[in-house]
Amino acid sequence: MSVSSVLFSAGTRSEMDLELEPPLKKQRTINTYLPDIDIWIDKIKSSDQNLSPVVSDEFNAPIKLGKVYVGYIKNVQDISKAVMTLNEKIPLKELQHLKRVKRQNIILCPITSLNSETIQEYIEKNVGELKDIFDYFQVLEVPFTAPRVTKQYQETKKYWPCNFHPNHYWEKLVRNSFFTDHELVIHRTYMEVVMEIVKWHSNYLQIKLSDDGLQDINASIVVDPDINSIVTIAFDHRQIHPLQHTAMIAIDNVARTQNGGVWDNNISDELMIHLKEKFAINFGVRDSNKNSKEGPYLCTGYNLYILREPCHMCSMALVHARTKRIFFCIENQEKGALKSTVKLQTISSLNHHFEVFTGFL
Amino acid sequence: MDDFMRRALVLASEALAAQEVPVGCVFTFNGNIVAESRNSVNITHNPTRHAEINCIDIILRYCKNNQINYHTYFENIVVYVTVEPCIMCAAALNNLNIKEVIYGCANDRFGGKTVLDVNTFYDKGYKLTGNVLADEAMSLLKQFYKGANPNAPESKVKKNK
Ligand SMILES: [Zn+2]
Ligand SMILES: [Zn+2]
Repeated sequence: MSVSSVLFSAGTRSEMDLELEPPLKKQRTINTYLPDIDIWIDKIKSSDQNLSPVVSDEFNAPIKLGKVYVGYIKNVQDISKAVMTLNEKIPLKELQHLKRVKRQNIILCPITSLNSETIQEYIEKNVGELKDIFDYFQVLEVPFTAPRVTKQYQETKKYWPCNFHPNHYWEKLVRNSFFTDHELVIHRTYMEVVMEIVKWHSNYLQIKLSDDGLQDINASIVVDPDINSIVTIAFDHRQIHPLQHTAMIAIDNVARTQNGGVWDNNISDELMIHLKEKFAINFGVRDSNKNSKEGPYLCTGYNLYILREPCHMCSMALVHARTKRIFFCIENQEKGALKSTVKLQTISSLNHHFEVFTGFL
Repeated sequence: MDDFMRRALVLASEALAAQEVPVGCVFTFNGNIVAESRNSVNITHNPTRHAEINCIDIILRYCKNNQINYHTYFENIVVYVTVEPCIMCAAALNNLNIKEVIYGCANDRFGGKTVLDVNTFYDKGYKLTGNVLADEAMSLLKQFYKGANPNAPESKVKKNK
């Protein structure tokens, strides 16, 4: 039975599986793996979108509201005395971001501070000297979380005035215009190199990126942005060695540039020649005598460009390596540790925090 | 159990003598030690060369040389390590479906349970027990951090003090 007759025959599945060698699935993919990658490469090159930083949820979270008692002060002259007394005797504690006063209204306390007493009784008990200055009391909803960025500050203003000092860097992170056009071209070119590595290996291995079970295909490059040079490249090798995810190999390859390293070098010379021919990009490490006394230390100051969002093992390895920035292309819904299942870069107790960017496609 | 941890502690002190972060680890199979190692980050310039990762590499080499299926082999491994595995190592051990992990002291800087519970991201997860000869493990760490990491650049060393 020929291949084409199997493809078009109504034969049972088991018959097909038995007689086809190599399996049918592989036959199909040979013709389709290349266009997929080329479409991606085109997208990466032609997109005019800025890359998006993957930031802590608290920058994008909607403002959380909570209820407080507010007193209306009868005479304007009493306001400053009331503020001073209340700040001393009933401080706002975790609500420090709230301004105490809005015109003649003053925040007394969260409604949860009261047990069974009325607000008048509570005032008499805790700040007796203020018991006669209020005209009336009301319960209002105010922001219970401090605004971190201007977008959130605008939202809080609708409810109650807040203390807010914009942090220049945070504003830049959420504005979606982090990189200049010139920088974007550089980042997109490096991701194109990653794609080219994948393409070269898929050609070589005859596999398709979207095949079931081949979701693990991954590649990465390490770049020294100060001299705009590719320090090393790495292709995922986990089918053979379960620790050799592309980022783990990349870190070991960087170690080799610093007279260390453990694993065998598996960078193909042929691939390196191909990349150097195709891209007008520098390769290699900086001359440590010229630029710094110490020379590079681990991945300090280096950026990693990687096809798929790294897993927990690789992400933490990149923390250990003190990588400066991670750029990834495709989310890893099940095991991704920079966006999908957790954002490792936002865990404050870790001793190093890199920046993460995505949005190439 | 204590014997295996004592062996791991000996390996950790070897690391300390070699100016590495003092963490030691043994892998056991059916109650026998089949791999042992310690941290070797500074000598290799590779920050991923933790004791657990080195042991995994030893087992992989052994399985390859003896044509053993490493998947089933790792499923029977019990790990003894002087310090709670970090997030990276916890994920690596999960990836390999390791049977059980027993550690000495907790790791409040990078711990794969204390800082981020890595087991929750994996279907199976391994059995994890801590606090075995924890004081000994901790005192080795304290001795190391009294001196500074000799391989870090000067500015970093100062900052950590
Ligand atoms: Zn990984
Ligand atoms: Zn570790």
